[in-house]
Amino acid sequence: MSEFDSALKIFAQESEQLLQDMESALLTLESDPNDSETINSLFRAMHTIKGSAGLFGFNPIIAFTHEAESVLDKVRNGERHIDAGLISVLLDSKDHTTKLVDHCLNCPDAPLPDDLAATSSLLIERLTGKSQAHTLQSSDSLSPLHSEGGGDISLDDSWLISLDFKTDALRNGMDPLSFLRYLKTLGEIKDVLTFFPDMPKDAEMDPESCYLHFKIVFNSDASKQTIEAVFEFAADDCDIKILPPNSKIDTYLQLLDAMDENHVSLLGDMLVQIGALTPNDVNHALTNQAHARQTDIEPVKPIGEILVEQQVVQQPVVEQALKKQEQTKQKIATESNYIRVDAGKLGHLINLVGELVISSAAMNLIVDRHGLSDAGDVAASMNSLVNAIRDTALELRMVQIGETFSRFRRVVRDVSNELGKEIELKIYGGETELDKTVVEKINDPLTHLIRNSLDHGIESPEQRLAAGKPAQGSVQLNAYHESGHIVIQIADDGAGLNSEKIVAKAIANGLIKPDHGLTQQEIYNLIFAAGLSTKEQATNLSGRGVGMDVVKKNIEALRGSVSIDSTPGEGTTISIQLPLTLAIIDGFMVGTNETRYIIPLNMVAECIEMDSRECEINEVEHYINLRGHALPYLRLGDYFHSPKTENAKKRESVVVVKFGQDKAGFVVDALHGEHQTVIKPLGKIFEKLKYITGATVLGDGNVALILDVQGLIETAINKRKKNAALPA
Amino acid sequence: MSNLIRKETGGNALAVQEQVGQYLTFLVDKESFAISILDVKEIIEIANITRVPLTPDYIHGVINLRGNVVPVIDLSARLKHRCAEVSKRSCIVLVEVEVAEGAQFIGMLVDEVREILEISPANIQPAPDFGTDIRTEFIQAMARVDEVFIILLAINKVLSLEELSQLGRIADSRGNQFSEQD
Repeated sequence: MSEFDSALKIFAQESEQLLQDMESALLTLESDPNDSETINSLFRAMHTIKGSAGLFGFNPIIAFTHEAESVLDKVRNGERHIDAGLISVLLDSKDHTTKLVDHCLNCPDAPLPDDLAATSSLLIERLTGKSQAHTLQSSDSLSPLHSEGGGDISLDDSWLISLDFKTDALRNGMDPLSFLRYLKTLGEIKDVLTFFPDMPKDAEMDPESCYLHFKIVFNSDASKQTIEAVFEFAADDCDIKILPPNSKIDTYLQLLDAMDENHVSLLGDMLVQIGALTPNDVNHALTNQAHARQTDIEPVKPIGEILVEQQVVQQPVVEQALKKQEQTKQKIATESNYIRVDAGKLGHLINLVGELVISSAAMNLIVDRHGLSDAGDVAASMNSLVNAIRDTALELRMVQIGETFSRFRRVVRDVSNELGKEIELKIYGGETELDKTVVEKINDPLTHLIRNSLDHGIESPEQRLAAGKPAQGSVQLNAYHESGHIVIQIADDGAGLNSEKIVAKAIANGLIKPDHGLTQQEIYNLIFAAGLSTKEQATNLSGRGVGMDVVKKNIEALRGSVSIDSTPGEGTTISIQLPLTLAIIDGFMVGTNETRYIIPLNMVAECIEMDSRECEINEVEHYINLRGHALPYLRLGDYFHSPKTENAKKRESVVVVKFGQDKAGFVVDALHGEHQTVIKPLGKIFEKLKYITGATVLGDGNVALILDVQGLIETAINKRKKNAALPA
Repeated sequence: MSNLIRKETGGNALAVQEQVGQYLTFLVDKESFAISILDVKEIIEIANITRVPLTPDYIHGVINLRGNVVPVIDLSARLKHRCAEVSKRSCIVLVEVEVAEGAQFIGMLVDEVREILEISPANIQPAPDFGTDIRTEFIQAMARVDEVFIILLAINKVLSLEELSQLGRIADSRGNQFSEQD
């Protein structure tokens, strides 16, 4: 991949992240419009995207983000109030920017399609139309103040700009005056001192050379960056130094104090961030420093000193910044920081760890077989190291689910507006971690379930008030860990499921017979069947009866399960159970008919010897009497292979497994104990098998199959039902 | 086995011309079949095979190929509906099948790998409509070599994942059968 391509990739990632941040910032602002840090982050998002787009010359993005940035700048400076209207325009602008970025990345050379261009100008109008009015207002109210202050504003409130034009400036087409004229548009030029120290004697003077140096006393509210931008074109032909007004020092000091620790970095960067310096100033100083280092004439001065010498920033600001830097250095040492890593590299690492786990198992096997007691110690310690490496490697891929959750705030907001309902999204357990691959795949099913809750679950405000509930409905997203799984719950306080409607519809669709005899729970689960929607009228959100079956399928593809619980009038709760990771699990190895199988350890409740006092088998009614409880069972050997003759049966054991609420016993010939299981996919051929979820490679190089406990428990329960129904 | 390939593919540079194709021939239930050498990834000795329960006969099982789990199809069962008898000469011919999610390796259990033949298109004829005891769609063409006909297999049909993955239903019905019995 060329450097340019990888830069583009970074741009794509960065803008996606920034736009995502922007969206959540906007949504935060809705509830807390005065949060200055959030407003700043909005501004930064637009600003950074504009800057990066500039690197690649993506003009449509620059043009659009520039306008949005200006508006946000005004909001930041308090010139414009942020209200619901502006937030929704900004949300649209965010979406539009996403489209622009996509367009520019996919077909960088193609002109902007008409519809995008039209949206651009429309949004700019919506963004700036109001803002222009605001600016006029603000300048109306501000300008008299300034003119009152009139002539006697002291130097303390003024910028000091010094422009030392180089001799070639005129030849290169620079007109010093035009810059001064343009500068006036930003503020008031209080005084201009012109001098020409390098002016040669009359005879030697070249009329085409420029000998002019200016010192300008300038009054303006503009930022240093903006003022510097005035002289952008002259940068090559002119030494520009802009010293902020002394009155700004206090502001800078405050900003430094308030600076987020995450942003404390190099001195130059810090000063640029608070606006005391521009990147150009810093680069200039750095070049000087590097030069001094090379020539070795005088001792190299620290960058702060150089900056003060160059008259671009005042001494106190530098000192304060240095102090802050020192403070945070100590703090950062204790705090964590992050590294961005390519997901592919992580995947490779996890694969390698998987291989490591397999070969470590192989080594243990050999050590055991040859009875090498001294090697045994080493093997044991290596084994525990491998375990630790495995856990750590898997943790690397763990991400908090909070980010995924907060994306739904937008969904809830948009959908509830569209439906004319008042709905609040409450998020709990956002810090719960799970595998990134799982997070990516759970997004679609979650979106669908939430839309369903919003559309079908929550009633309209009138209905809610009539039912004695608050007009505002709520949808809760909750995540927590439970016995090696993560549970994600979507709960609404809506009308609940209408089981009569579901039954009627299911009968009409031929899914069940009128004399179904289903429990309430089983009826609820019918909504995951294909082609069933109880909403009379399909909206464009949901209600077409496709989707819930897809949701179930997607979740099952992740080796998870979904269940639903509902109380009429009080709401519906959908729970999704997911495995923490898709790569490596702790397994429990059992053997039957000379074949070994793996059961995920977190699903094993206990192992009991068959025919012990605690446990008796009832072959007729097909259950195991486990300490007085009837437990459905499955004789794995008979189910998978051919039934054995009675006398071939050896000592058997029962492995009690649980999945969710269900329990069953698997009767096996041998228990081989715990086994670290690296899950290998079985491929498309076997994907329809309901009793095998994958395979793993054992230490001796053989393949063992991993049992699908959920599927097998169902089989066992069905058998139990069938046999229990038989007349005894 | 691998020696055989290396020796024969030495002449590969010449055979790149389109006229002459190289084919790997093997025996399945005493009959000769061939597939294009370009489809063959590897030939491996028969090792420990793990059976997958409740699958049709043509699924011989899965093997560990350098840490990856690869399914093995019993060609004899697939083509002739007679399970292969594994002998010393039995081999697994590894081929790659394209699926939506990328390539998947599949092993084919054969009774014996013979040789690599260069067959010119002149000697390749379309498949007959009848006269063989295997499904006609499995036959890509017939090749005449030394007055003997060899069947060129249509790998994508023989190893059609859509068809092979229908095994779930068979397994279900078989599973139920057992449950009826006990």
